[in-house]
Amino acid sequence: MMILGTTFGMVFYLLQAVSGESGYAQNGEFEDAELDDYSFSCYSQLEVDGTQHLLTCAFDDPDVNITNLELEICGALLNVKCLTFDKLHEMYFIKTKKFLLIGESEIHVKLGGKSITSKKLNIVKIVKPEAPFDIRVIYREGANDFLVTFNTSHSQKKYVKELMHEVAYRQEKNENDWMHVNISSTKLTLLQRKLQPDAMYEIKVRSIPNANYFQGFWSEWSPTFHFRTPEITGRMDPVLLTISILSFFFVALMVILACALWKKRIKPIVWPSLPDHKKTLEQLCKKPKKNLNVSFNPESFLDCQIHKVDGIQARDEAENFLQDTSPPQLDDTEKQRLRGSMQGPSWPSEHAVITPKTFRGDSPFRSLAGSTSMCEVLVQPSSRSPDCREGGKNGPHMYQGLLLGSGTTNSTMPTPFPFQPGILTLNPAVRGQPGLTSLGSSQEEAYVTMSSFYQNQ
Amino acid sequence: MFHVSFRYIFGIPPLILVLLPVASSDCDIEGKEGREYQHILMISINDLDTMIKNRTNCPNNEPKVLKKHACDDNKEGIFLYRAAHKLKQFVKVNDSEDFNLHLLRVSQGTLQLLNCTPKEGIKLPSQGEVQPTKNLEDNKSVKEQRKQKSLCSLGILLQKIKTCWNKILRGSKEH
Repeated sequence: MMILGTTFGMVFYLLQAVSGESGYAQNGEFEDAELDDYSFSCYSQLEVDGTQHLLTCAFDDPDVNITNLELEICGALLNVKCLTFDKLHEMYFIKTKKFLLIGESEIHVKLGGKSITSKKLNIVKIVKPEAPFDIRVIYREGANDFLVTFNTSHSQKKYVKELMHEVAYRQEKNENDWMHVNISSTKLTLLQRKLQPDAMYEIKVRSIPNANYFQGFWSEWSPTFHFRTPEITGRMDPVLLTISILSFFFVALMVILACALWKKRIKPIVWPSLPDHKKTLEQLCKKPKKNLNVSFNPESFLDCQIHKVDGIQARDEAENFLQDTSPPQLDDTEKQRLRGSMQGPSWPSEHAVITPKTFRGDSPFRSLAGSTSMCEVLVQPSSRSPDCREGGKNGPHMYQGLLLGSGTTNSTMPTPFPFQPGILTLNPAVRGQPGLTSLGSSQEEAYVTMSSFYQNQ
Repeated sequence: MFHVSFRYIFGIPPLILVLLPVASSDCDIEGKEGREYQHILMISINDLDTMIKNRTNCPNNEPKVLKKHACDDNKEGIFLYRAAHKLKQFVKVNDSEDFNLHLLRVSQGTLQLLNCTPKEGIKLPSQGEVQPTKNLEDNKSVKEQRKQKSLCSLGILLQKIKTCWNKILRGSKEH
């Protein structure tokens, strides 16, 4: 008896141990490893077929043997306590109008009529909208943009009406480079400048509940739509084109003018050259004409009284100056002339007469500022009058024309000395070198200047 | 002296019984934000209202039965509780499945949002007005008339429920 009892005890003990390893415990609790095998997830679709709703569930582990497994939903149902799922391949679904849509329901996983696991969920929090459809892209040339429109079946539904849509587009050659835009309406505008010209694009849309009361998951993507962006034709605004052409021609003209006038006009103003003293002198002292008998021989100016311009004084002083100077030695012929001239007021006409008036009229003197030099003298002395040096009553007849400065002009010849209109003669025969030496210091300076110039020539 | 004690014995208890419903606990309303009402209940109420108007031509007078119960201040929960129970009695008045489901959704949904502990249930004093006749010998016209009356009563009740919910939501917004 004792042995028999012990045997039965051991058998029962073994049975209990074996049943524990198989996953079924007496207290109804299950091993964690077994529970994980039966984990499942569900989503709902409201008004999917008229007023009927759809609830779809599936086990997370695809290797689960669902042959004998059943799913049952209880709670938050109308007029019934529980509903059993239908099985299709590896999916469990239930299609009914009897969802209360308020409060939580409980889904049981049953094996052999007994619930092995359960899960609480709210039908309105696991809503998966239907995929959008009929997506279209229209190019608006006037607005330079693309109008994207699509349709959704939820616009006609009563419960899940407010959705959030996600539009995704990309250039076909750029894989995994999707651009995403979230909108609440069924229209979207894409600017042309943000897209590549003459490129092929593809675009698709999906939806999700707006999280006000209904919540859930993203729907499936809509069918992809392809569209091509237009080329940039290059057609410009006519006004802009005209302005650009005119500007181009203006710039070209300015460049040509600048190149042509650079040397003559522009460079002297922008970068004036330093004056060359030799050239300046050449301009000042132009070569006299061939028929002009001009001589800078100081001896030819022996008869003339030379005064410095800065020392211009009154006629009286000039007369005094003449009186101070010693007259040069004259030839006999000249002496006779002098005597003769003392008697007669008139002069022989053969003398070269230069009057201020005549002189003025025939004045060859030109200003230094012009192209000619002051050294030109329209004088043709055939003889000289000794009266040139006289300081008698007839008054001095001095001509200071040769000493005139650069301020003279062609029209008039200012005379520094207001001498009486008389006769001025030059005596070319007189080459008074000694006369030079007998002049004062100022006359010597003038002669020196002239002589040095003569020597340079 | 005997007369005084007799008065107290037989006078006070009925008074207590009469005053007991007033002193009973009220219902707590969970959906005061209005999400469940706006997204679920109001849709069913509107659909029922549309169905009733299409089928009946109701008079403007309110049945006496419904006049007894009103959405008074601080008693909105009780009113909704009684109205929700009353809605169940209108089931099968109409043979349409959608009609009955909407009715049940309003009734059960309202009760789902209420947390009441009433001490007495809601019972219609005159069941003959809302319940279809079981007498098979009645005329079809009489049947139809009664059905029409029931639907009219239901329409009025639904409007009262809608008004009471709006009052609750308005009050919660003000607070």
